[in-house]
Amino acid sequence: MSWPTLEMTLRLRVLSTVSGALGLIAVLLAVGALFPSVGHTIGTLNIPKGVSNLLGGADYATLTGWYTSEIGSVYGPLVIAALAITGASATTAGEEEDRILGLLLAHPVKRSRLVAGKAAAIAFVVVIIAIATWAGLIAGVAIAGGGISLAHITAFALQLAFFGFATGALAIALGAGTGRRALTAGVAAGVVIAGWLINGFAPLVSAIAWLKYLSVFYYYAGHDPLANGVDIGGLIVLGAVAVLLTALGMVGIERRDLRA
Amino acid sequence: MPEAAIATSGLTKDFGSGRGLFGLDLEVRQGEVFGFLGPNGAGKSTTMRLLLDLIRPTAGSARVLGLDSVSDSLAIRRRIGFLPGDLALYPKLTGRVALDYLARLRGGVDSRIRDSLAQRFDADLDRPIHELSTGNRQKLGLIQAFMHEPELLILDEPIAGLDPLVQQSFHALLGEVSAEGRTVFLSSHTLSEVERVTQRLAILRQGRVVVVDSLENLRKVAVQRLEIEFAGPVAAHEFEVLAGVTGATAEGRTVIVSFAGSADAVVKTAAAHEVLAIRPHEEDLEDIFLRYYRVEADA
Repeated sequence: MSWPTLEMTLRLRVLSTVSGALGLIAVLLAVGALFPSVGHTIGTLNIPKGVSNLLGGADYATLTGWYTSEIGSVYGPLVIAALAITGASATTAGEEEDRILGLLLAHPVKRSRLVAGKAAAIAFVVVIIAIATWAGLIAGVAIAGGGISLAHITAFALQLAFFGFATGALAIALGAGTGRRALTAGVAAGVVIAGWLINGFAPLVSAIAWLKYLSVFYYYAGHDPLANGVDIGGLIVLGAVAVLLTALGMVGIERRDLRA
Repeated sequence: MPEAAIATSGLTKDFGSGRGLFGLDLEVRQGEVFGFLGPNGAGKSTTMRLLLDLIRPTAGSARVLGLDSVSDSLAIRRRIGFLPGDLALYPKLTGRVALDYLARLRGGVDSRIRDSLAQRFDADLDRPIHELSTGNRQKLGLIQAFMHEPELLILDEPIAGLDPLVQQSFHALLGEVSAEGRTVFLSSHTLSEVERVTQRLAILRQGRVVVVDSLENLRKVAVQRLEIEFAGPVAAHEFEVLAGVTGATAEGRTVIVSFAGSADAVVKTAAAHEVLAIRPHEEDLEDIFLRYYRVEADA
């Protein structure tokens, strides 16, 4: 792995990462502060099953369900996937289209090692967002009056981090494999959104319920980590997907012509 | 005889629709400054990208510093400096930070060399790159290409955007590099940029080499031109019909005649009129260059 590339990629992404982390913490605190006043009311709402599934299928009357629906199902994965995908596509295909990659690869560094350094930096970004989520949840839960254990908060942050690794790695594979920024960001975002919809709707129809196994959301949140703790199986799948996709990106860029 | 710095054999990169590089056989000797000339789209950058293994050949092969351009690419890149055409760097970073990163990709370089190059080119390393003019960005490109004192420099349009003073510094640097026995392979689409620094050159057109020769030899085959000022108007046709004359134009009382070989017939024809002045015009490299183009275009 190219350490200078890891450091440079992190340096270029530090502003968006810190902004994303601070924004996420602010939302987690606000969501915690809101719960005492709206939790009981929203818990009585009759929400359609499909929508409820999209929002994590949680019980809104409990703090765990409240956080699962507000953060676990939408905002958390949205922020982490957005930062991972934009970061990964910019550092691979973006730099290639901007003609920076051609200059870097005129230096004595293997393409695969360069991509590995970039992938590691994106993983680092994901870890920072996951840590911010963890810290924000601890504070938000405290503001709301408590009710979720530290172990479950940690499990949630861990599942979210692995979700970020997998989505970032998807963009690394696409970006390094194709060198096309718009395609990379578009396809990776499409896969994440499709995964979210599949995970929400597929279980409603028994004939296609199995489709949920194709969704990264299932392995991230299917087990409801805030309520039930860590899902080792989910982490293994997401971790394996991340490693496999990163490896694909490293092999892919070695085998093709640079575009610019 | 020392091994060539660059040797290509039938090097081909076919992009389809007639675009690319076709059957390039080229030898750049160690220690020479070699000019690689051609208009935009002729295949100059494609050749350089092939040598750096940024793209792979469709056919043929290239050896750089005695190593295979594909299988030994990493070892080659350790020993060369590259300036891409239309250089791009991280716009928000300062030149110093960008150069530090590139130096670290090489495992570190002597910062004194970098600083001395920056001083030589009067480069501002502390402003964000997006605030720099094209010429000032190009200086950063030159510094990164030279700062590790590579054995071979591959420079794509190195003079683009540089002001005359920096061009002079750059030419002096090329002279020093060549005197140290290092090799420079540089491209340009305008000959006047490289005329002063190259010992040999290749002219490329539509992906194929038109000629490879020394400047001296190219000049030998150059046509001569005479500008003859008469006391009254004289028709160009009188000269056009002479043997060896390749062209004649008349404007007012002045006729410019281009010819190869002896000037005898031209002078004798002129002598039939009252001649006020005869001014020789030495063909410059640009004329040679354009002539190769025309010859090829007519073929």
